Amino acid sequence: MNRALWLYLGVFATVIASFLGLVQLPDHQLRGLEPVRDESGVDRPLRPEGGVLAGRQEYIGLGCLYCHSQQVRPDGFGADIARGWGIRRSVARDHIWDPPPVLGSMRTGPDLTNIGARQPSAAWHLLHLYRPRLTSPGSIMPEYPFLFTQQRLELERPADALSFPSGDPRPGWVTLPTYRAKDLVAYLVSLDHSYPVPEVRP
Amino acid sequence: MSELMPSAAEPQNEPPTRAEIDRSCRGPLLVFIASAVFWLVIGSLWAILAAVKMHTPGLLTSWEPLTFGRVRPVHLNMTIYGWASMSGIATLLWLQARLARTRLPLPNLLIAGGVVWNLALVAGLVEISLGHGTSVEWIEIPLFWALVFASVFAVVMASSLTMFARRKVAHVYVSQWYLFGAVLWFPFLYLMANTLIHTGLTRGVTAAATNWWFAHNVLGLWLTPIGLATIYYLIPKVIGAPIHSYHLSLLGFWSLALFYNWAGTHHLIGGPLPAWLVTVGIVGSLMMFVPVITVGINHHMTMVGHFRRLKDSPTLRFIVFSGMSYTAVSLQGSLTSLRSVNEVNHFTHYTIAHAHLGVYSFFSMAMFGALYYLLPRLTGREWASARLIKLHFWASAGGLALYWGPLTIGGWLQGLRMNNPDVPFLEIMTDTLPWLWGRTAAGTLMTLGHVVFAWLVVTMLRGSGGARPASFAAATSPIGEVKQ
Amino acid sequence: MTLVYGIVWIVMAAFAVSAVAALVWAIQHGQMERFASAARSIFDEEEPVGRPTDAFPTSGLERRS
Repeated sequence: MNRALWLYLGVFATVIASFLGLVQLPDHQLRGLEPVRDESGVDRPLRPEGGVLAGRQEYIGLGCLYCHSQQVRPDGFGADIARGWGIRRSVARDHIWDPPPVLGSMRTGPDLTNIGARQPSAAWHLLHLYRPRLTSPGSIMPEYPFLFTQQRLELERPADALSFPSGDPRPGWVTLPTYRAKDLVAYLVSLDHSYPVPEVRP
Repeated sequence: MSELMPSAAEPQNEPPTRAEIDRSCRGPLLVFIASAVFWLVIGSLWAILAAVKMHTPGLLTSWEPLTFGRVRPVHLNMTIYGWASMSGIATLLWLQARLARTRLPLPNLLIAGGVVWNLALVAGLVEISLGHGTSVEWIEIPLFWALVFASVFAVVMASSLTMFARRKVAHVYVSQWYLFGAVLWFPFLYLMANTLIHTGLTRGVTAAATNWWFAHNVLGLWLTPIGLATIYYLIPKVIGAPIHSYHLSLLGFWSLALFYNWAGTHHLIGGPLPAWLVTVGIVGSLMMFVPVITVGINHHMTMVGHFRRLKDSPTLRFIVFSGMSYTAVSLQGSLTSLRSVNEVNHFTHYTIAHAHLGVYSFFSMAMFGALYYLLPRLTGREWASARLIKLHFWASAGGLALYWGPLTIGGWLQGLRMNNPDVPFLEIMTDTLPWLWGRTAAGTLMTLGHVVFAWLVVTMLRGSGGARPASFAAATSPIGEVKQ
Repeated sequence: MTLVYGIVWIVMAAFAVSAVAALVWAIQHGQMERFASAARSIFDEEEPVGRPTDAFPTSGLERRS
C-alpha cells in the first residue's frame, strides 16, 4: 500500500476515534430509551405535537436558548434544585422526542426545564413576552412586539386581549397575541419534567 | 521526496523562489483576505449590537431580525465562518505553498470557491435573521448552505493536499503537520456534525454530544492547528532563528491530535448525559496540558534573546501576543473542565470571555500577524502607516484585555451567586450590568482596531501605501502602477 | 446490535493500527531524526538564519544595522 495513504489514515484516525467514542457509542447506548408510564397512565415525556411543536420551532427561531438553559443539574452540583428549577435532575430520557434538544449553555435568564410547572398561566407568559419588565422588574429580556398586534377596541373586549395591570398602554386599543405568540406560550407552558423516572431516586 | 508521489514523472527542475510562490497565491488569497476583513468589520458591528442589547434590552426590538436571539448567532457565524475561516484558509494555503516550495494549485477553482463561500454565508445569515436558524450552537446555518460550504472545503482540501504531495522539501516541517491535520479533520467534522444533527440521524442528548464534539473541535482541530502552524512558521521566520526544540514541537502536534478531539463534552458537565461521556471530556481536556505546555515552552525559548525585535516587527507583536494567549486560554480551558470549577463558571459570562480569549486573543491575533506579513508579499506594496499598525495592535490587545478581565470576574461572581439559592435570580441579573457595560466599551475599542486594520488593507489594495522596499528578498513585483 | 458493535470495534482497531503505522513511517523515514536541521528547513540562502524578514514600514532594518 502507498505510504502516503497510511499517513492520511493515521492523522485521520485520531478524529475518527473520537467520533466513534463521543457520537456512535452514546448513540448505541441511548437509542433504546423509551417513555415511562406515570400513575395516571400517561406516557412521559409527552410527544410534542400541534401548537406545542410549532411553539418549539418559534423558541428555536427566536434564539431563546442563547439566554435560557433547559437542563437541571443534579442535587449537590450547583443550586438548580434548591432554586426550584426542578424536583430532580434532567436525564437523557427527558429528551427522547427532541431531534436536537435545546439544552442551552447560558443562564442569562433562568432555566426553563420546568417553567410550565412553575408558571402555568398563559396570560402571564404573554404579558412577559410583550413587556418583560411588567412581570419581572429589572429583567434584561428583550420585548417581542412583533409577536403581537394592536387593534382598536370594539364594543366587546376580545377574550385573548392582553390585560395590563395598569390598564391598556394606549386607551381605546387592545393588544392581541399572534398565533406565533400563542404557539410559543403553549410550548413554554408544556415544559414540565417533574414526572418520576426510574434512573433518579426521589 | 518521491516517497509520497510514486509518479517518477515529477520534473526535477528547480523549486520556485519565494517571490514566485507568493505571486502564484495572489489572486485566490486576495479574494479570501478581502472577504475575511469585510466580515471582521461587519461581525464587529453585530457584536456591539448584541453587547448593547444585553444591558439596554429595549434597543431595536421591533424589527425581528435584530432581536438578540438572532443578532448573537449572526455575530458568531460572521466571525467564525466569515473572518476566522476565510483568513484561516488564506493563511493555510500560503503556508502550505511556502513550506512545500510549490506554486498554489487550482487558483481559479479557489477564486470561485471564495465567491461561493461568501454567497453561502450571506444566505445562511439571512436565514438565521429570518428565523430559519437551527439554534444548534456553531452550526446555526441550515443544512443546504452547510453542504455548499463543504463543497468549498473540498477544493481547499484538494489544493492543500496536492501541495503536500508535490512538496520539494524532504522534511515535513511542524507547521505542515498541523495544516495537514486541519484540512483532513475539519471538513470531516463539519460534514458529519451537520448531517447527523440536521437530518435527525442523532436524536436527543446524543445530538447534544455531537454538537459539542463539533463546536469544541472548530477551535481545537481547525482554528488551533492553523494558528499554531502560523506561529511555528512566522516566529522563526521573522526573527531569523530556528525553533528552540523540534522534539517538543512534534510531541505537541501528536498529543494535540490525540487529546483535543475528546475535550468537547466538558461543555455538558452536569447535563443529562451518561457520566462516562462527560468524564471522557474532562480527561481529554486535562491531557491537553501536555501539548499546551510543550508549545508554550517552545515558543518562549525560541523568542529568548529576540524580544527586542517586538519593537521592529508588526507581525511579531501580533504573533507573540497570540502565542502567549494560546497558553493562557488552553490552561484556562483545562481548568474549567474540572467539576468544581465548572460548577461555578458554566452558564455564565465567564465562558463568553474564555471563548474570546481563544478565538480572538489567540486565533485572530495570529491571523492579523500573518496578514501583516503576507499582504505586502502578495501585492508587492508597503503598509501605509506604522503608526496605524501600532494603533490597531493596542486597540485589539487593550480591547481584549478590557473584555476578558471584567467579564471573567463578573461571570465568576454571577456563577457563585447563582449557586447560592438565597440570592434572587433577578438580583444576580441586574448585578451583571456593570460588567456588561464594560464589555460594550471593550468591544468598541476592538472594533476601532478592526476599522483601522480594514483601512490599512484597503489603502494597500489601492496602492496608496507605496512599493515594497527592495531590501526584502521575497518582495514580489507590485501589481500595476504604484504611487511612489 | 452485536454485529454493529463488532463493526465499530473492528473499524476502531483498524484506525488504531494505521495511526501506529503512520508513526512507524515517520520514524523510519527520518521525520524524527536530525531535528536541528529539520528546524532549519525553512531557511536557505535566499532567507538565511540570522536575517529578520519583517519590519514596520519606513523603519527599514538595513538602515538601523
